[in-house]
Amino acid sequence: MENNKKIRNIITALGEHKDSQAAIELLTEFGTNSPDDEIRELTAQTLIKKNTHESLRVVLISKGKGINDLSARVAMASINELLSLKDKTEAIKILDDTIKMHSEEEVRNTARSVRALMTFS
Amino acid sequence: MQIGKISLHKVKSAQTNVQPNNIEKNQLATNPFGVSFKGNVIQADVFESSKQSIGKNISEKSKLFASAVVSGINNFNEAFKSRMNSVVSFGKKITTNVFDTIERIGNTEVKFDMEGIKNRIFPDRQYSVKNLTNKPVEELKNLWSELTPTETAA
Repeated sequence: MENNKKIRNIITALGEHKDSQAAIELLTEFGTNSPDDEIRELTAQTLIKKNTHESLRVVLISKGKGINDLSARVAMASINELLSLKDKTEAIKILDDTIKMHSEEEVRNTARSVRALMTFS
Repeated sequence: MQIGKISLHKVKSAQTNVQPNNIEKNQLATNPFGVSFKGNVIQADVFESSKQSIGKNISEKSKLFASAVVSGINNFNEAFKSRMNSVVSFGKKITTNVFDTIERIGNTEVKFDMEGIKNRIFPDRQYSVKNLTNKPVEELKNLWSELTPTETAA
């Protein structure tokens, strides 16, 4: 088994792990900072699927992570995952807060675009 | 006449002298067919029959043959007994070994490290999602670090 496949399995296992808080911390520390686009993409999707305040904050308001990732592939995959959520309440709430209060203009604009997509989805 | 008388007397005395010896001989021979010979009594009838049978040689040969057969049977019995003894001792040894083995097996505690065996047969099994989900996050962090040592160092 390739190392990438093993890491993918670890990320998937962290998405289903009972210790959600520790899993999110590990995904944030290792996954979102990985140089590999594929790993960052999968990490962002996993964090969004968790659909908790802590996991969504990482991919919505952190510069260079999730929807703000420099890789279009990672950003688009994150947006698609957000649009696929059944319960979007927490994500919309975080996006609204980001649009209002975030210090970075670029992050606020991205949040606004995604918020609009989620409204019409 | 005189000669005749003397001779008759001698004959009579001779007869009277002979009789005790015959009685003595009869007393010594307890076996009616036995004859005393220098202190030894021959129990078997060793006198040859006056009538020589035609099959004498044949009977002697058959006796020799029978004797050979008897001695052969004795030898066979001894050999058979010795072999049977070795067979019996071998059987006892086998039985003892089997019982010892059974006892040893009964007293032996067998433990299988099924997880270790599975991981050896399927080396990537520990990286299956199901297996990883049951592991603590700290262990997953170590596994991830091992897979990307340069990335974590950077």
